[in-house]
Amino acid sequence: MNRVIPPTTKRQKTSKFKATTLCFGIVLTIFIVSLLICVIAHTTPQALLASVLSSEIQFAIRLSLVTSIASTVLCIVLAVPAAYALARYNFRGKNLLNTILDVPLALPPLVAGVGLLILFGTTSFGNALSEAGIDFVFTPQGIIVAQFFVNLPFMFRIMRSTFQGINPRYEYVAQTLGNTEAQAFWRVTLPMARNGLVAGSVITWARGIGEFGAALMLAGATRLKTETLPISLYLNMSIGELNLAIATATILIAISLVSLFFFERYSGSSHVF
Amino acid sequence: MIKIENLSKDLGEFFLKDVSIEINESEYFMLLGPTGAGKTILLEIIAGVYRPDKGRVFINGRDITFLPLRERNVGMVYQDYMLFPHLTVEGNIRFGLRSTKASEKDIKTKVNELANMLGISHLQHRYPGTLSGGEQQRVAIARALIMEPEVLLLDEPLSALDSETKSRLREEMRRIHSITRTTVVHVTHSFDEAFLLGSQMAVMNQGEIIQVGEPSEVFRKPNSKFVANFLGVGNLFRGRAVSENGITYVDVDGISIISSTPKHGQVYVSIRPEDILVSLKPIESSARNVFQGKIQDIVDTGSVLRIKVDVGVPFIVAITKRSLDDLYLKEGVSINLTFKATAVHLF
Repeated sequence: MNRVIPPTTKRQKTSKFKATTLCFGIVLTIFIVSLLICVIAHTTPQALLASVLSSEIQFAIRLSLVTSIASTVLCIVLAVPAAYALARYNFRGKNLLNTILDVPLALPPLVAGVGLLILFGTTSFGNALSEAGIDFVFTPQGIIVAQFFVNLPFMFRIMRSTFQGINPRYEYVAQTLGNTEAQAFWRVTLPMARNGLVAGSVITWARGIGEFGAALMLAGATRLKTETLPISLYLNMSIGELNLAIATATILIAISLVSLFFFERYSGSSHVF
Repeated sequence: MIKIENLSKDLGEFFLKDVSIEINESEYFMLLGPTGAGKTILLEIIAGVYRPDKGRVFINGRDITFLPLRERNVGMVYQDYMLFPHLTVEGNIRFGLRSTKASEKDIKTKVNELANMLGISHLQHRYPGTLSGGEQQRVAIARALIMEPEVLLLDEPLSALDSETKSRLREEMRRIHSITRTTVVHVTHSFDEAFLLGSQMAVMNQGEIIQVGEPSEVFRKPNSKFVANFLGVGNLFRGRAVSENGITYVDVDGISIISSTPKHGQVYVSIRPEDILVSLKPIESSARNVFQGKIQDIVDTGSVLRIKVDVGVPFIVAITKRSLDDLYLKEGVSINLTFKATAVHLF
């Protein structure tokens, strides 16, 4: 005999497990949002505006923009060809190369900064560069190098994953149509990698803006000389100029949110990790 | 003319072993074989994607074995089209002329000419992502043809298409070939395609060329068990079909074969040897086709025997050794062949 199951009018209860895990998600979200609100709401809009317009913060914004854009361009120029080679070709030592190119990702930025300082400050290579007029120690150029070194793996990994996702047969076809390997890359592969390139550039740039540890070691924290936004935040915090510190923090939050939006939008199928 | 001499290449999963082949100018050459036979590598070596470990490749007497892809004057069309997604249809077709000194006016004329020939003029401003498979394949062919290649390589160009588009594009390929007279090497795993398009064909397996010849000849005289099994069908005829009330009568050299496939006009008829029933006396059954004839030949191919029966046209029938013994069949014995209308494949 078949037992007839009475139709239930009650909505199915959410499982305890689902409810518990969801709670964790909600708590974490609240934690992050309240932190952001704390920073932004700590000062009045008038004070914020006055701080942003102060000559010191203006200098920090300009320096941060210039150094981060320069280091991003440097990352593109050097990481894109390297990423292409490691995505396309097989050669001995490929795994080793891949691992080493990821090292800056795992290295604490302070350690990277110490390494850069020793390389450019004490070796004959560094001295030669210095004599040629290219000085990285305690200069704004040092900030660029520090940002470049620390952020290189991000650009590299995103581009490698992007190139791996593009069938090499597109290039073969382009080559049968009269193109050299380089032309096939410029005319086909790179345009097809556009989204990856945008995503990689945005994340590299945003991280460059926020770079602190390595830049502090190599370029130092000199007011109105190597004072980027994070350095400015650090300097003003340490002398109790809270309004200026909050202003830089707010700017950094805004940049992070905007770049996160662009990254999510363009990253699509490429993987950073 | 394409001449391939003792070509070997080992790519691990895919490989070629000592392949030699000659393909005449203006030939429509079919390369047939199962998956993993090495058909695509052979094509990619002709195109220049891989360098062979051993052997040489000549096109019209020119040794191209180590030439870069762009200097070979070879067009390549892949199964997945490989259209450049960031360019319009027009941008894709004219892509190859960017590296030449052709004037804008000449380029425009050529693009239009090819687009017309392939019936894709109305799609020129669209992007590949918005096109159907058949349309994309036409664009890929136009893009290759604009270079006026000496050789056009097609890697399973019809495999990804539905059957209607497939037969339409197949006719198109035949027409384009008759206009351009470009030497074509067309890779496929479909026998129908090989038979309908190819003037010559080669059957490949495990990196080797097993048999080369005209499709009908390879079909009638397979040189090995592999070819016979791979091609599958043993009975292939040409005939005229007339369809009446859902039944198709095909006249093949005076005998009338009944098929359930609706078709009109010139057709090819194929019947698998395994689908034919052998009996000493005519049997009453639902099967529509009954023919009487004498056994001409019995060939032992292992567990199954192939017997050749002349019923006005030569039929190949597959039976087991046991059946042969039980029915006391031998050369000269008169037998009946019975098969259903649904076993008769028309194309």
